[in-house]
Amino acid sequence: MHATATSATRRRLTLVGLAVTLVAVVIAGIAFGAVPVSVADILGAIQRALGGAERSAADALIVDLRLPRVLLAGLVGASLALAGVLYQALFKNPLADPYILGVSSGAGLGATLALVAVGTAYAGRAFGVPAGAFTGALLTIALVVRLASRGGRVEPTSLLLAGVAISYTLAAVTSFIMVVFRSSMASVVFWMMGGLTSASWEYVGVVGGMLALGALVPLLYARELDIMLLGDERAGQLGVNVERFKLVVLASASLVVAGAVSVSGLIGFVGLMTPHMTRLVLGPDHRLLVPASALAGAIVMVAADLVARIVLAPVEIPVGIVTAVLGGPFFVWLLVRGERR
Amino acid sequence: MSATLSFSAARVGYSGRAVLSDVTFDVRPGEFVGLVGPNGAGKSTLLRSVTGAAEKLGGSISVLGADVERMAPRQRARLVAVVPQNPPIAFAFSARAFVEMGRHPWLGRFQDLGPDDDAVVSDVMELTDTARLAAERVDTLSGGDLQRLTVAQALAQQPRLLLLDEPISHLDLNHRLQVLDLVRSRAEEGIAVLAVFHDLDLAARYADRVAVVADARASEPLPPPQALDAGVLDRVFGVRAVVRTDPVTGAVAITPVARRADIDIPRRGRIGMVCGSGAGAGLMRRLALAGVGLHVGALNRGDVDRAVAEALGVDHLDLPPFGEVDEAAERAVRAAYSSADACVVCATPFGRANLGNLRAATEAGRPLVLIGDMGPERDYAGGEATRLWERATDAGALRVHSDDDAFEALRSLLDDEGTPGD
Repeated sequence: MHATATSATRRRLTLVGLAVTLVAVVIAGIAFGAVPVSVADILGAIQRALGGAERSAADALIVDLRLPRVLLAGLVGASLALAGVLYQALFKNPLADPYILGVSSGAGLGATLALVAVGTAYAGRAFGVPAGAFTGALLTIALVVRLASRGGRVEPTSLLLAGVAISYTLAAVTSFIMVVFRSSMASVVFWMMGGLTSASWEYVGVVGGMLALGALVPLLYARELDIMLLGDERAGQLGVNVERFKLVVLASASLVVAGAVSVSGLIGFVGLMTPHMTRLVLGPDHRLLVPASALAGAIVMVAADLVARIVLAPVEIPVGIVTAVLGGPFFVWLLVRGERR
Repeated sequence: MSATLSFSAARVGYSGRAVLSDVTFDVRPGEFVGLVGPNGAGKSTLLRSVTGAAEKLGGSISVLGADVERMAPRQRARLVAVVPQNPPIAFAFSARAFVEMGRHPWLGRFQDLGPDDDAVVSDVMELTDTARLAAERVDTLSGGDLQRLTVAQALAQQPRLLLLDEPISHLDLNHRLQVLDLVRSRAEEGIAVLAVFHDLDLAARYADRVAVVADARASEPLPPPQALDAGVLDRVFGVRAVVRTDPVTGAVAITPVARRADIDIPRRGRIGMVCGSGAGAGLMRRLALAGVGLHVGALNRGDVDRAVAEALGVDHLDLPPFGEVDEAAERAVRAAYSSADACVVCATPFGRANLGNLRAATEAGRPLVLIGDMGPERDYAGGEATRLWERATDAGALRVHSDDDAFEALRSLLDDEGTPGD
């Protein structure tokens, strides 16, 4: 394992393995549902759609409903996992994730305010809401970091406490706004609980674009992410521009969280669990950890969404419930393990 | 040649409060400068100010002529490498990946480690004796291994200036010397080194010059014998120490003997001591470190007590090996004893050669303390020593039976002597 060649091979194999798994889960996500479809139907429908043919009802189910939904689930999962990796590296805190830090709530409030301001018009929904979510996410993380700072240092425990406190406060404000504007907010309630029901190709484009932008930074800064684990002072001694690095990473993490939240509401624990599991298996090298976590996040999310659709079929449950059921115990396990150390 | 690191009237500290002021000195290429001083004096603060981890509140700090404040971290990391006091908290990186981080300042954003970088990393791991750990996970290694890996990481930066903050605290004896020899050899290749030391002997042995950090100041770095004399140790560390040249390493060797707080006695007087054959070493040490002036008579070269007197810087009269205390010597010794506040005769055996010391003490006319009994087992002068002993006893000399009792007796004699109007 020591030779560079071996680790490069291992890295490639791991990523290929995850990508294959993701494709399998995506196909399963399309195939299962209230109306099952076969793999042959899926491939045929996609082929016909690419060919620009008029869609049959069966093809439309696959191409316009299931496919964007599954892709969106994957993108949201990848976004949340990516944000989790970034927050955990930045704060050197294994419990950091967008949900616990309050960033998701901040993005949610920003999105809700944007929705109230621009209404449900198409352009507003597709661009205004993500912009509002991004602003909300940035302001929230700035506030949480500020609250948790003691003399230039971010205390790990204060960070989590501040995050949870801000998260509840912002969620309450969001609920209040929903009550006030309840006539136009019926759909928002379901959205905020964490759901992918409103999936469309436009959303796939918006979230995909934000993820692509946000993923650029961790891929380019992978070495800095590694070095930052040695602590701010040491990273500075090794040539990392620590302040700029933090700004850039916080901005890109907020961007991907905003993308995820503006289409799927508050989905907890994906950003916590997947980077963690990936790190346990693959170690701390961010050149591997960043893409692997994103892939793993996509896999978890597509699978969770599948479960959410079929467990009470034809009734659908918010996918946030599924991730919370899995993630809550996982979080407790991490806490207990941390204390034993 | 111009300086690699230059402090000029620098004021450094934290949150606007100065820890050190008016620091002015240079470290030149190829020079190894040591920083010593009591805990909390600001040695680490001074080092950290170079990389911006401590604030510079005034003056200037420059590396190769460029103001360190204006340098981008990456640019600075190509010139300055740091080995911190405590190795960083390690994550599950392999030892090699950990050392590779030292190449970061030399790599572009889209660039991976090339063959040259790999060669540098292999080289520094070889030099620090960490090559065999390459595949190990750093979070499973000992503190000493991690410290050597941190040294390797810093050397992988190929810096022009190396800052070491007590770089050997977790190392065993062998690796201490190994790491310091390595740093020394890098200095000889032209790197400038500024290193904090807690071990004064090692500072004296490895540094070309030593600066003492104390009382919110850093002294001008001086060669070890001048920087670390007994006066500095007394003033800065509050320690009575013997400073001599180590016969083996040839460097200044410091033997701290006692804390000043433990040894001060009310008044420092002067004592004449009759000793020899090692019988006086213990008492001589205690009195000398207590600040009492001593004259220990005429002693032969090669005598144990003479060696102790030499190391402690105590006055004595030199005799050649097996030489006798002749009349002239006896006169000189008597004169010295006469000017003392009191005299003491240690449990030394007497023969014809050293009888003169005993006679001088009994005739000096000062209060006299006699240790032990005199008899055939101590008197090899044909009964002459016994006669002097009895005469002194009759004249009121104080008889004690241990060094402790003698020390107490002399202490009270000095107190009496110091009382005004006595």
